[in-house]
Amino acid sequence: MKRRAQLLRTAVVGGVSLAMTLALAACGTSGDSAEGGSGTIRVLVYGDAANKVEKQLVDTFNKTSEVKAVLETVPGADYQTKLQTIISGKQAPDVFFNWGGGSIKPYVDAGLLLPLDDFIAKDPGLRNNFLPSVFDTAVVDGKAYGVPMRGTQPVLLFSNKKVLADAGVAAPRTWDDLLAAVRTLKGKGITPIALGGGDRWPTQMWFQYVYDRVAGPELFRKVLDGDKSAWESPDSKKALGMLRELVDAGAFGTNYDSVKFTDGGSPALLATGKAAFELMGSWEYSTLQDAYPDFVKSDLGYGAFPAVEGGKGDPGNLAGNANNFYSVLKKTRHPEAVADFLKLMYSDEFVKAQLGIGNLPTTTNTSGFLDESASPDYSKYQFGLVKEAPSFQLSWDQAFPPAAATSIHQAVQRFFNGQTDADGFISAMQSLPSA
Amino acid sequence: MTLAKAPAVDVDGAKTRRRERPGHRSGPRPGHRAATGVGRPGFAWAAPAAVFFGLFAVVPLLMVVVLSFSRWNGLGSPEFAGLDNWRKLLDDPVMIESLWLSLLLTVLGVAVQTPVSILLGVWAAGHQRNRAVLSAIYFVPLLLSITAVSVLWRAVLDPNFGVPSQASWLFGDGNLLGTQSSALGVLVFVSTWQFTPLHALIYQGAARAVPQVLYQAAQIDGAGTVRQFFHITLPQLRNSIVTSTILMVVGGLTTFDTVLILTQGGPGTDTTISAYYMYQKAFKSFDFGAGAAVALLLVAVAGLVSLVMVRLTGYDKMRSTMEGV
Repeated sequence: MKRRAQLLRTAVVGGVSLAMTLALAACGTSGDSAEGGSGTIRVLVYGDAANKVEKQLVDTFNKTSEVKAVLETVPGADYQTKLQTIISGKQAPDVFFNWGGGSIKPYVDAGLLLPLDDFIAKDPGLRNNFLPSVFDTAVVDGKAYGVPMRGTQPVLLFSNKKVLADAGVAAPRTWDDLLAAVRTLKGKGITPIALGGGDRWPTQMWFQYVYDRVAGPELFRKVLDGDKSAWESPDSKKALGMLRELVDAGAFGTNYDSVKFTDGGSPALLATGKAAFELMGSWEYSTLQDAYPDFVKSDLGYGAFPAVEGGKGDPGNLAGNANNFYSVLKKTRHPEAVADFLKLMYSDEFVKAQLGIGNLPTTTNTSGFLDESASPDYSKYQFGLVKEAPSFQLSWDQAFPPAAATSIHQAVQRFFNGQTDADGFISAMQSLPSA
Repeated sequence: MTLAKAPAVDVDGAKTRRRERPGHRSGPRPGHRAATGVGRPGFAWAAPAAVFFGLFAVVPLLMVVVLSFSRWNGLGSPEFAGLDNWRKLLDDPVMIESLWLSLLLTVLGVAVQTPVSILLGVWAAGHQRNRAVLSAIYFVPLLLSITAVSVLWRAVLDPNFGVPSQASWLFGDGNLLGTQSSALGVLVFVSTWQFTPLHALIYQGAARAVPQVLYQAAQIDGAGTVRQFFHITLPQLRNSIVTSTILMVVGGLTTFDTVLILTQGGPGTDTTISAYYMYQKAFKSFDFGAGAAVALLLVAVAGLVSLVMVRLTGYDKMRSTMEGV
């Protein structure tokens, strides 16, 4: 018995030390592999259907380059978290996907990112070949930090043409048109506007546009620059008053906070004719195309957000996601190779591949290929809007640093459902962590 | 005889017991004194558990304590922030509310799940064939991932295309996730749907272990089914009720996935329970210091609750229900 106990003790101690050695060894290996071989650049992207194009471009790049690019994808929902945890460590990539604006501001502040000015000085095409309103989204403190690498996603007002025709309502060009349409549609028992309030960012889209139309892009720019008093300005209060009026008119029905866009709830309302409008990013088209191809073919309407009479914002202004960007880590060991890789982002091959999967690139040569798009009319319409847009307002939750997103989402939701009033909303926005 | 004394293996215990109940034990006979020299198990026996507990529970907990006194957004290294996080947290109305919400959800969960699972479990303890088949079906929700279950119920409860659109007399406009009370109701309902089978299983096993002689005696005394349930089954299930309640409380206080998928803490912050608030602070707002402080507060509250429960239920000196049987 005694010997057995001793044996066991030895086995246990041995086992524990073995396990610890293994664990340590595992740490060691992962550290090594993270540094990568001497001749590679690591490209980290948001994992989704668009990765097809990114893979293709990496392959093209690797055909001619000495330094090889390695593509790494992180499933969408975890992307921001994963990036934040690795970017300052040994496992940081050389090039990474982002949304420009506030999504990279903390990294710029931490001195992690490489300004692209030198690259642009050597190849001005890295700036000139992109639409300016989009390119500027990734300019922080006057320096360029990103190159557009996917499609633009402006927010548009989508509609069900059949529902509008049956109700005798024309596509609204002004805010008053919209309010009138809301009253007519409500009178006919139709939810005027579908809203995925459960996701909260769709609610935010209404704020972005109404603020832009009433006050122009300057108000939000001031806020981002740290002038919190702008939230108390008469323009801000006017915008909130208009939103209140819209909600109180029953524009969104009463149960919008239980509806989500992400589970297909709100697009289904539009497609099945239970609602007449939905304000949504341009991806609404491909979402509906997948689920309701017949509806898209015959009855889907789309247009710009209505103008506000007497407002300071140009009716041509857009809001949404300007594009996604590739930014570069300062400590990359192969800046030349990275510059060559970025140049592919305005190549014909890139444009064709993006159009092929339904994305709308924002390079100046895109216009020549629009006929090859999966839906040429829609692509041309959008491209025209983006090209002519005097300003492209980045979504609020992306213009602010990630830390502010939750508070913004809560504030817009609470304002819509009446849990807080204009003053409450203003003070919530004023207490956001500053950009 | 109390249960606590039974497993003692020390020499003296063995001796006394031998004296009390001679011939009843087949254990070490007097001739084998060497075998009883095992004595108390050495500390090495606890080493694997201790190492794992230290590595995966104590060390991370200490790191969280350190983190709660720092400012860190995941970039660079944490800076010492003194009591900042704690001061902000204790002034934060959302934090206080989140603790109440956690407790409320837990209490509601226990209050709803316990009766349902006792009834189901006792019913399923019968040996009829149809009961066996139905019990197997009732067990299914437990096999599904909580994420899948939440997604499923979101779809079923969709106000425009789900059940509420067909039953407006019950659900009104179907805005179930848009008000605090109904959103809490949905959360309680979904966890009940998922976890009742587990607790029913506990009660089924316990109910089957109730000696039949008790029921036979009661029948002779003229007690009906209802009386038998309240006077025999329920008292016999006492220990199972304690066990299952503790499991429910632990589960309730650490609920996270259902909130993440069903409500994301909304509307506003109306269903932001502590565990979700911690996630939001740390992994959405990248304020790891504040997240760590929330986590510690939750640990403290959960520790307090379990301490109170152990005292109140007598879990620490649990008595057998078989006394006198």
